[in-house]
Amino acid sequence: MKAAAKFRSILYRNIRSFFDERDYTEVDTPILSTTLIPESTIENFSTRFQNPFLPSTELYLVPSPEIFMKQLIARGLGSVYQIGHCFRNSEQLGHIHNPEFSMLEYYTVGADEEESIRITEELFASLLPKDSPKYLRPPFARLSVAEAMQQYAGVDLDKHQKQATLAQEAKRLGLTLPDEPESWEETFNRIFLTFVEPNLPQESPLVLERYPKQIECLAQQDGAYRRRWELYVKGVEVANCYDEDRDQATIQAYYRDEYARLVQKREESGTVIPDVDPSLASVFSAMPPCSGVAMGLDRLQMLLMGKSDLEGVILFPLSGMLTSGNTRNL
Amino acid sequence: MIKAGQIDKGTALLIKGQPFVCIDREFVNPGKGSAFVRLKLKSPSTGQTLQETMKSQDNAEDITVVDRDCQYLYNDGENFHLMLTDNFEQIEVPMGNFPDYQYLMKDGETYRCTFWEAQLLEIQVPPKVVFFVAEAEEAVKGDTVQGATKYVTTETGLKVRVPIFIKQGERIRVNTETKEYLERVNN
Repeated sequence: MKAAAKFRSILYRNIRSFFDERDYTEVDTPILSTTLIPESTIENFSTRFQNPFLPSTELYLVPSPEIFMKQLIARGLGSVYQIGHCFRNSEQLGHIHNPEFSMLEYYTVGADEEESIRITEELFASLLPKDSPKYLRPPFARLSVAEAMQQYAGVDLDKHQKQATLAQEAKRLGLTLPDEPESWEETFNRIFLTFVEPNLPQESPLVLERYPKQIECLAQQDGAYRRRWELYVKGVEVANCYDEDRDQATIQAYYRDEYARLVQKREESGTVIPDVDPSLASVFSAMPPCSGVAMGLDRLQMLLMGKSDLEGVILFPLSGMLTSGNTRNL
Repeated sequence: MIKAGQIDKGTALLIKGQPFVCIDREFVNPGKGSAFVRLKLKSPSTGQTLQETMKSQDNAEDITVVDRDCQYLYNDGENFHLMLTDNFEQIEVPMGNFPDYQYLMKDGETYRCTFWEAQLLEIQVPPKVVFFVAEAEEAVKGDTVQGATKYVTTETGLKVRVPIFIKQGERIRVNTETKEYLERVNN
């Protein structure tokens, strides 16, 4: 516990000096927000603002500071970074999951996702203890999602852009699909999570890039793919990067379609439906070209400490607060 | 029916009509994807393992199982011989269905066992077990480097990496899941 707390303190100091030396502005944005960017796959926490003289309002704990950081960039603050807490509500408490987690987000103005790889390699190099193992050291290995799907599952993504044929591929691989219809993305994830992710090479950190366009997000589309990458270290997903979409019509369409998906899903499950503010599309489209990276700091610390579990890395994990001593299988 | 998100280690499921037991489950939440659960399942009758990834909200067919106490008698190199303590009935199960359990179970010891109909699905070995050190390598003279380790063999034949001060005849507590040494147990 003591070692983890001290490690974290030094880690944050090093992260701050890295970005300060490169003229990024450290920002501090709210955790409580009246609206969120719609993300149908990320469950939210809600709470209530109560005041005897004002109408009661539902507030949401941010799953990422993106919604505020992009507004600051649009207002001309330049490259920014933030270390803060994010919240993702779900039933999952696992050895690499905690509903409240620490996140580093950095947005580099004038950079694309390619430039973000270079910056992230430099950041890694600056945070590594001396004599760190090769699996932590840059340069990062690179693999596109299509190459990985071909290599580890034998699936040609270019040929299977429709859910029906991708589902055939999933069945060919021996997966069980439910009777009810599902999206292309869900079928893709079944294949990816069973055959690809567990087998990704781990000798060096790995940038998995060019995600299928069917996985909706605010990264720029480029043909059948998006300008997005994820960083895997020792098989653990630690960062996610976009070349940020700045097209107002595309962002507006994303807000509309993704929110419809979110509402449909959550009405079925009875989980929190956050308010959204589609007018932010015009704010986000006012940003200069930029690329943003979100990095999970609890997982990063876990990896830097040579651990494979967040136990002992997060000082007060929720699982410990929820269970009275019986933490078997958590 | 249960939701896949409720599946835990030891949960028994029917997959394509065959009973399987979950031996490992890991929640995975891809960066921009729904919550999934990655399952490792094992068929108790054939020992076959299966990998499945289900959405946490997918339905899975769980089966009703019964826990009964069994005394571990011995193994003949191919089968474990156990006796149900409630009716003294003896049962045999192929050792291959429970890899490495011969090193974790002690002759004469009673274990909680999970049955589906007449099939033994799981032998519940406690997460921490005290073993007797049957054989220990001699510590290398002059090797006083802190953290130096050596191997010992327990009465069940389990090889464990221990600190060099552990001697033959002593007792040690071992994590049965990772097979790692935890501590020396004083008599």
